Amino acid sequence: MGTVVTIDVYTTDSRAGTDVSRQLATARAILQHADAVFSTWQPHSPVSRLRRGEIALAEAPAEVSEVLGQCAIARELSGGWFDPWAMPGGIDPTGYVKGWAAQKALGAFRASGICGAIVNAAGDIASFGSLGPGQPFRIGIADPFSPRRLIEVVYLTGAIATSGTYERGNHLIDPNTGRPAARAASASVTGPDLGLADALATALAVAGAPGLDMVEALDGYEALIIAPDGSRRWTQHFPFAPHEAAPPARPR
Amino acid sequence: MRRTPLVVTATVAGLAGVLAFHTTPSRLSLGTSPGAPGTSPTPAAAGPSGSQRGQSGSGSSSPPPSGPAAKAPPGGTRTVTGPAVNYNYGVLSVSVTVSGGKIAKVGIASIDDGGMQRSQYIDQQAIPILEQEALQAQSANIQGVSGASYTSAGFQQSLQAALQTLGFK
Repeated sequence: MGTVVTIDVYTTDSRAGTDVSRQLATARAILQHADAVFSTWQPHSPVSRLRRGEIALAEAPAEVSEVLGQCAIARELSGGWFDPWAMPGGIDPTGYVKGWAAQKALGAFRASGICGAIVNAAGDIASFGSLGPGQPFRIGIADPFSPRRLIEVVYLTGAIATSGTYERGNHLIDPNTGRPAARAASASVTGPDLGLADALATALAVAGAPGLDMVEALDGYEALIIAPDGSRRWTQHFPFAPHEAAPPARPR
Repeated sequence: MRRTPLVVTATVAGLAGVLAFHTTPSRLSLGTSPGAPGTSPTPAAAGPSGSQRGQSGSGSSSPPPSGPAAKAPPGGTRTVTGPAVNYNYGVLSVSVTVSGGKIAKVGIASIDDGGMQRSQYIDQQAIPILEQEALQAQSANIQGVSGASYTSAGFQQSLQAALQTLGFK
């Protein structure tokens, strides 16, 4: 499975174009490097070799240790609901890497003349800045019951990740009961870091509303859960934005 | 003060394969827009990528139509096909239909992948993403869409593994 990463850079000065092009190239290189290191389908990538036990962690590039360290933190913070060590075929940090790499690519854009930038890795979004003073970025959240529509809009400060079970049907079967296990149709998490936001969104999609407490306890992170019955629960400061102008919000 | 930000959009195919290990990897590049000076695409060595840039109004992140013919935001409806670009498994081009300065439709105009099944794969994987981005571009008031639609395979693997480990009941 692949993904498409879209980068939008908002500049205040059209002369920034050349700088931005250079930074885009840097961001692209960061993403491609992450792919080369962390790919689990390329048999010779460091992570593939690590999974096969051909190299030790100490022999892998430094980013691998960094990511695994972050994964351990995310596992802890999510109460074990996010766990790359539990993957079939050995440790697989790919659930974290996409957000991590997008966040890292965002770091390529810090020049003057830029008021904001968005790195959108197929729906998981890292950003800094805004459209301009008093004009925060607005990001739509796809409707889990009708993914071509938006169900909410948020003011984005930093990152947002959304996890859900909707696109491919409900394949999450509880092995014990044989019944669908996911307790959320969709879980969105906002916060400063996309890697952690993504991990938490994944965790909440399984844990459902009871998992909101763990996000409430984290400084800077907020969450919105849409339950399988369409009802919603959210943390206290989830950054809802008014969205009458948004595309076809389904009346509820 | 009303700003009309210059929006630079680059579609980067960098993370293919990171997301899952059960399915065929795919990398996709969008066409490039050489319309503006000083922004010639500079594909990185690890794989081709493109960039698009252009003016937008009201903070919309709508990418401009790509391709050599795209110079100014059109007022009417027209379709522009981007240049054929190399991606890891062949050559493809993207078409964009613009109506009233906004993207109405995005699709793969042509694809030559040497007869592999990847054409179908790319259609299945990439076009919904492109459509989603077209959706966001259609709204002048949002700059992106967050959703789980297109990351579900890796996500579900992770979830199921976590469930099994936890003995979820």
